[in-house]
Amino acid sequence: MPSDDVQTAHVLVIGSGGAGVRAAIEASEYGETLLVSKTLAGKGGCTTMAEGGYNAVLREQDSCEIHFEDTMKGGAWLNDPGLVRTLVDEAPERVRDLLRWGAVFDVTDCCEVAQRPFGGQRFPRTCYAGDRTGHEMMMTLIDRLHSTGVSVVNEVTIVSLLKDGERVNGAAGLDRNGELSIFLADSIVLASGGGTKIYDVSTNSSSGTGDGYALGYQAGAELVDMEQVQFHPTGAVFPYDARGRLVTEAVRGEGGILKNAPGERFMSAYDQERMELSTRDVVARAIATEILEGRGTKNGGVFLDVTHLPRTQVESRLPVMLEQFLQFGVDIREEPMEVAPTAHHIMGGLRITGRGETTVPGLYACGEVAGGVHGANRLGGNALADTQVFGKRAGEAAGKAKTGKNKGDPVQIEAIRKRLEDVNRGDVHPATVVRSLQTAMWEGAGIFRNAADLEKTLGIIGHLKTLRLKAATPANLAECCIAGHMLVCATLVVKGALLRKESRGAHVRRDITQVWDGQNSPYGHTYQSLSREGIEMEVKS
Amino acid sequence: MKDLPVRVFRYNPNTDDQPHYQHYLVRVREGARVLHVLHAIHDEHDPSLSYRYCCGSGQCGSCAVRVNGEPVLACTQEARDGMTIEPLELPVHKDLVVDMEPYLAAISSLEPGGEFRMPTQEEVEAIKPLRSCIECLACVSACPALKVIEFAGPTAMREDMRLTLDPRDSSDRVTEAVTDGLFTCTSCQVCWKVCPKDIEIPGKAIEKLRALANEKGLTLPRHQEVEKMIRETGRSVDRAETTFLEQIPDVLEPYGEVKGTVGFFVGCMYNHRLPQTALDAMEILRRNGIRVIIPKEQICCGSPLIRTGQIGYLKTLQQRNIEAFVHQGIDTVMTMCAGCGSTLKNDYDCPFRVIDVNEVLLKFEIEPPARLPVKATYHDPCHLLRGQGIRTQPRELISRVVDLVEMPSICCGSGGGVRSGVPQEAAALAENRRKEIEKTGADIVISSCPFCEYHIREHTDRPVKNITTVLLEGYREKDKKKALKEGA
Repeated sequence: MPSDDVQTAHVLVIGSGGAGVRAAIEASEYGETLLVSKTLAGKGGCTTMAEGGYNAVLREQDSCEIHFEDTMKGGAWLNDPGLVRTLVDEAPERVRDLLRWGAVFDVTDCCEVAQRPFGGQRFPRTCYAGDRTGHEMMMTLIDRLHSTGVSVVNEVTIVSLLKDGERVNGAAGLDRNGELSIFLADSIVLASGGGTKIYDVSTNSSSGTGDGYALGYQAGAELVDMEQVQFHPTGAVFPYDARGRLVTEAVRGEGGILKNAPGERFMSAYDQERMELSTRDVVARAIATEILEGRGTKNGGVFLDVTHLPRTQVESRLPVMLEQFLQFGVDIREEPMEVAPTAHHIMGGLRITGRGETTVPGLYACGEVAGGVHGANRLGGNALADTQVFGKRAGEAAGKAKTGKNKGDPVQIEAIRKRLEDVNRGDVHPATVVRSLQTAMWEGAGIFRNAADLEKTLGIIGHLKTLRLKAATPANLAECCIAGHMLVCATLVVKGALLRKESRGAHVRRDITQVWDGQNSPYGHTYQSLSREGIEMEVKS
Repeated sequence: MKDLPVRVFRYNPNTDDQPHYQHYLVRVREGARVLHVLHAIHDEHDPSLSYRYCCGSGQCGSCAVRVNGEPVLACTQEARDGMTIEPLELPVHKDLVVDMEPYLAAISSLEPGGEFRMPTQEEVEAIKPLRSCIECLACVSACPALKVIEFAGPTAMREDMRLTLDPRDSSDRVTEAVTDGLFTCTSCQVCWKVCPKDIEIPGKAIEKLRALANEKGLTLPRHQEVEKMIRETGRSVDRAETTFLEQIPDVLEPYGEVKGTVGFFVGCMYNHRLPQTALDAMEILRRNGIRVIIPKEQICCGSPLIRTGQIGYLKTLQQRNIEAFVHQGIDTVMTMCAGCGSTLKNDYDCPFRVIDVNEVLLKFEIEPPARLPVKATYHDPCHLLRGQGIRTQPRELISRVVDLVEMPSICCGSGGGVRSGVPQEAAALAENRRKEIEKTGADIVISSCPFCEYHIREHTDRPVKNITTVLLEGYREKDKKKALKEGA
């Protein structure tokens, strides 16, 4: 292997969304840091698409204890309490970092960060920059990244992690032309984001293909609660090709109401107290039920209406929504939006400690690819906070790791080359596999689940895995690898769903009746790794 | 489902000598965007097609391409029958993927100062219109200036202004902007018009930065001279011959029945440099029943001051001009200089309606001229096309008298103080115009702005004429024919 294909650093960060960039900024305090991004750094990932906001306790009337309780309750008590504690305690300081670095959040007339109400929270604690909060954060983070010494490698798709014995010590990636690059480091931070692109209808960007779950799993890391997939209640339904596009929770936060086709404000039948601002799992199931029972619109959605709000409020607080719907011929100041649930966020992921350590030495994880923070259902506004809190922690821990000499293992690298050569000899276009997978997942592992459908879906995934992919050109090699990652990610989701024989949070098993609620469940995390899989039994005192 | 024929730019610098265009017939659904067409090509026809995209919802700025020449976001632009999809005008990596990194890297980053202070609500509101940029580089692709001269580009200027407004930034962005080419912008506004986020870079960033540069004494010497002249004479250019205002009565009565009345704001260029063109226009109006009132107290509109950031004397000009027309009880003021028109419409708070001569002529259903055996091309003045949204009207008028051959709408280089301040750039842009004019094979060039006419005239061997002059020639031809007929 020629040496110019190898880049070394103290810390290698994989991913350029909110968590990855935050981790890189932090890690750069401790040593040479390299950030590898599948896209142009800052443009991929889902942070930049996040609209609604960032939860942080900033007011005296609010408290971290309430934020903790809201998050645990929202997550059906499946969350790791320690991680939640860290999240709520450190979210305020991390938003202050962003402010120091130039983030332009909306402010009150007293020069305090403005906050709006979000679902499942007893205090309006969601900080925002209009409805482009994530974009604002990303612009700020990339700005900050530029003023650190972090080297950024754009448009390289990581296809495998490399190991030295038990320890992860690097990664192999493909560039735009399909050339293999090797990266070696003392510690590797996986911040590759989520994976709901495995579903036919998803809010995720092109990068939400579950690469990190697959990379981590294949390197021996343990993942928890992969069955916990959040379906955002409100995704666009028209035009067909843009289905699933996120319609932010901020629409309901600002006072938007949901109505079915007959015009009934149906949330009263599902959560009379919190109505539209119930937790996402509840609202998504309510909408899905309305549609399934024939009270949906002709485009297969329900109405989300802000026409009763002052036009100026819509224009100033929801400008992106206004602009997006206008492009599709709907003026949301005049007529309701049509929405339906869309796969949004994977709560599960690599098992981490509070320092972002995974179960494999040398490998850290943060952001959506990590599990345990959000339990069985994530509160809106907690993901952006998660990226900053755990991005910083993972970056710091990775940076503090011991330095050493990292050598690429020629046997592993050769095996990767061999695998890539095989891809050149296959006969199935990866897009075909991806489409089949997305349909199967949407039909068999969606909002409402049962063992028979899940088994069937697992069968389909198994079949898809046997197909031999073809890269039309070297540049298409990465696409084939990504399709492979999606298949691994989907397998983890479906297996997790089979392992969890209860309904909890976002995961609903219609074939199982249970007497307990989330708080009294006998079960803890589902876990899956190369060496073991199962579900933890909670020891109730 | 529908089948769309599309044409796509293909180029692999590693294997192809030159780019080529590939035709595809693509099956897409109702409402499909350009991006979905690209997906369909990639998934169903040709997986080797390279293009960039991420969020699919207009938020990340990865997927900008040109559709029929115009930069758009592929994910939000509706797919159209027969469209041509090309990369942005930046160095091409492959097919539709361009090298964005150098431009992204050139955008300034906030440098926090010592003491932290939260921006106030007012400051946040001032920053917001400049903050929604998704760095798609549509503006960089479209900007004519940075194709001919060193210039960091429109969005870099936008960020410099955003940072200037932010109390947390510690650097002198104004001086930086000047170094990065602040004065190379011609105010053509194409960056604003192609921006998917509708960010008004010329007015909200470039002119504001130029005003701040003025406070720092960084205004170009040639621009200072113009400012001095306006203060001293009320006019931005020196006089060459008898001015238009000196040759014309206060009211011009039409030849026949009065169909309407307009006030006429003549502007410095037509008054001092091209009075004959304005006289031609008056002739057209008189012939078509339009009475023209011409207040003699009118002076420079102030456009050269606004565009170059020297706004100290602006209020005086605005007040004097408004008073001049209000005093005569005029409710509609006609401009024939695109720059004055755009300024009166966008930078004044006028108590009367402002209307361009092209709009006037179409509104009053003018008498048809004779057709001239001439092939003409039309140069869109930036301040007419983008400043006033006037595109179809001049074309309609031109087509009544001569054959029109289109050329791309690109700035000629005369605006924004560039002709006086950065003459080598103005010349380079005009040279680009000359080449486009050449390609059309037109006999003459028609425009509707004195700055463009004057500037292009210096750079092409074809006659450059104002629309009203050509119309007048059409009338003269008509009269000649009529006289011949009557004589016979």
